[in-house]
Amino acid sequence: MSAEETARFEPRIVAFCCNWCSYAGADLAGGMRLKYRPNLVPIRVMCSARVAPQFIIRAFQEGADGVLVAGCHIGDCHYVKGNFITAKRVAILRRLIEFMGIPRERLRLEWIAASEGDKYARVADAFTEEIRALGPSPIKDIRFGERSRSCASC
Amino acid sequence: MRYETIPTTCSYCGCGCEVLLQVLDGELIGVLPSKASPINEGSLCIKGWNLHEFVVSERRLRKPMLRKGGSLVETSWEEALDEVAGRLAKIKSESGPDSIAALSSAKCTNEENYLMQRFVRAAIGTNNVDHCARL
Amino acid sequence: MRELLKTRVAEMLREGRVDGVVGLIESHGEPLPYLFTADDTAALERISTGELQGRLAELIPGVVRYPLGKILTAVARKHPDKRFGVMCRACDERVVFGLFQNLQLDPDKVEILGLPCKEELARACSCPAPAPRSAIVDQPSREAWDRADLERIDAMALDERFAFWVEELGRCIKCYGCRNACPVCFCDVCTLQDDGLVKKGEIPAELPAFQLTRAWHMVGRCVDCGLCQEACPMDIPIRTIYRKVRSIVGELFDYFPGERDGGKSPLEQLGDGSFPIQ
Repeated sequence: MSAEETARFEPRIVAFCCNWCSYAGADLAGGMRLKYRPNLVPIRVMCSARVAPQFIIRAFQEGADGVLVAGCHIGDCHYVKGNFITAKRVAILRRLIEFMGIPRERLRLEWIAASEGDKYARVADAFTEEIRALGPSPIKDIRFGERSRSCASC
Repeated sequence: MRYETIPTTCSYCGCGCEVLLQVLDGELIGVLPSKASPINEGSLCIKGWNLHEFVVSERRLRKPMLRKGGSLVETSWEEALDEVAGRLAKIKSESGPDSIAALSSAKCTNEENYLMQRFVRAAIGTNNVDHCARL
Repeated sequence: MRELLKTRVAEMLREGRVDGVVGLIESHGEPLPYLFTADDTAALERISTGELQGRLAELIPGVVRYPLGKILTAVARKHPDKRFGVMCRACDERVVFGLFQNLQLDPDKVEILGLPCKEELARACSCPAPAPRSAIVDQPSREAWDRADLERIDAMALDERFAFWVEELGRCIKCYGCRNACPVCFCDVCTLQDDGLVKKGEIPAELPAFQLTRAWHMVGRCVDCGLCQEACPMDIPIRTIYRKVRSIVGELFDYFPGERDGGKSPLEQLGDGSFPIQ
C-alpha cells in the first residue's frame, strides 16, 4: 500500500466493551470531551468473558479490520473471574489467526476501568493507527485461484 | 446390546462411495465412510454423511397420496395407480408420448430403475427418462 | 498381535469384566467396527487389528482406523450401566483419555486394550506418541513430534500464509467430514451449524470463519489422531491447523489433551489470573 493509500484508509474496528468497566470508560471519554479516532464501533457486552471467540471470528469475517476486546482489570471483574478466561482465549486466538495469515496485532485485548476515559481514548487512537499501518483485512478481498474452482472428481 | 456396521453403497450419486451404516440395537444411528474402499478412500460428501437420515425420516412417504381439492390426502394403491395410468394415457393420446418425461430416484434399487426406463420407453414410447444420480 | 488381542478380549468377556468390547471385525472382506459380546463367540474368530488383506492391502497403505472412541461413546451413552473394553491404537487411547477428561466416558467403566504401532506406520501418520500406555504387548517406540508441517507454515510471511490457506480452504466442499470423523467432537448442538455464526448454503465454507471456528473448538481437545485429515475429500491439510492449536495450548499452558490422566482443559478452569496476556 502506498503512503497515500495508507493515509486514506479508514479502518473499521469492532470494540467489545464490558458493561461494568470498559463501556463506562468509553462513556467517560465522551463525558470528558476527549477527542479520539472515530473508527471503533463499540458493542456492549455484560462481561468480556461473554465475548465468545466465535464473535471475534465473525467480526473478522464480516470485514472488521481489527477487533478490540476490552474488560475490567484483573481482580476488578464484576463477576470476579470472568476476565481470567478472556485473557486465555485472546492469547490462544491471537496465535491461531496469525497461523492462518492474519497478523495477531489485529486482535487486541485491553483492560480499561470505568475511571479510565483517557485510556479508552489512547487505546482507540493507538489501535486505529496500528491497524491503518497494517492496511485492510485480507479477508475482505479473497480471490480463489484456478485450483480451488475445479472439482476434484471431474 | 448390539452394535455393528453394515457396508453398502451410497445411493446419492453415481460415484459409488462405500459407506458403513452404523446400527445400534437395531436402530440406524449414523454413517461412516469405508476406510478400505479404493473409491472414496475414507471420505464422503455432505450427502453421504447424512445418508441414514431419510431412512427413518418422519417425512418419508409411507402411503400413496393424491391431491384432491388442493391438498394431499391418503389414498389406496388402487385409486392412485388408476389415476396415474388414466392421466398418462390421456396426456399421451392428446399430446403424444414425447410430452411425458420420467425422473427416477437413486434411492430405488438398480432393478427398479431399470423397470422405470423400460416402462417409459416401451409402454409410454419416449426416451425422456433421467435419473438423479446421473452425475 | 491379533492372536493375543483375541485371547485378551475372550478372557475379558468370559470373566465378565466387561459387557462388550469395541473393536474391528473382518467382515465383507474388510475390517469393520464391531461390538464384541460374550454371547457372540463366533465373531471373535474374525477379530481384526485393522490390517487389510489381499489386494486391498496393495491399494491402501497402512492400517484401517475408525473413530472407535466415538463409537464407544455412542454405545456407552445408550447403555450407561454397562462396562466396556475398547481396542486402541495410541491415537485411540489419547481419544479415550480425552473423552474421560471431558466427562463423556466413565474411566471406571472402560478398559483399554492398547496396540502399539510399528515405526513405519507411526511415521506415515506423523504420530506424536505411537505407543499406548495400556499396551497388551510391549514394543519400544520412539516418541517424537514431527513438526515439519507446522514449521513450513511458520516460516512463511503472513500474506503468503493467508494466500496458502485461501488456496487450501478454498477447496472445502463443506462436507462436515472433519467434524463428523472427529472422535473428540461430542456436542449435541454444533456451532458450525449455527446460521448466525457460520453462514449456510455457500461453498467453499466461509473462509476462514468455518475452519477458525472448528479450530477454536479443538482447543484443549484435539489429540492429534489425524482422522479428520483421512476424512477430508479435498485433501485440505486441516490436521496441520489442529496440530497448531495443540501446540499453542501446549506452549501456553503445558497442556496436551489425552496425554496425561485427569486435569481439565485450560479453558475449563479459571485459574488464578496470573496468566500473561499478550
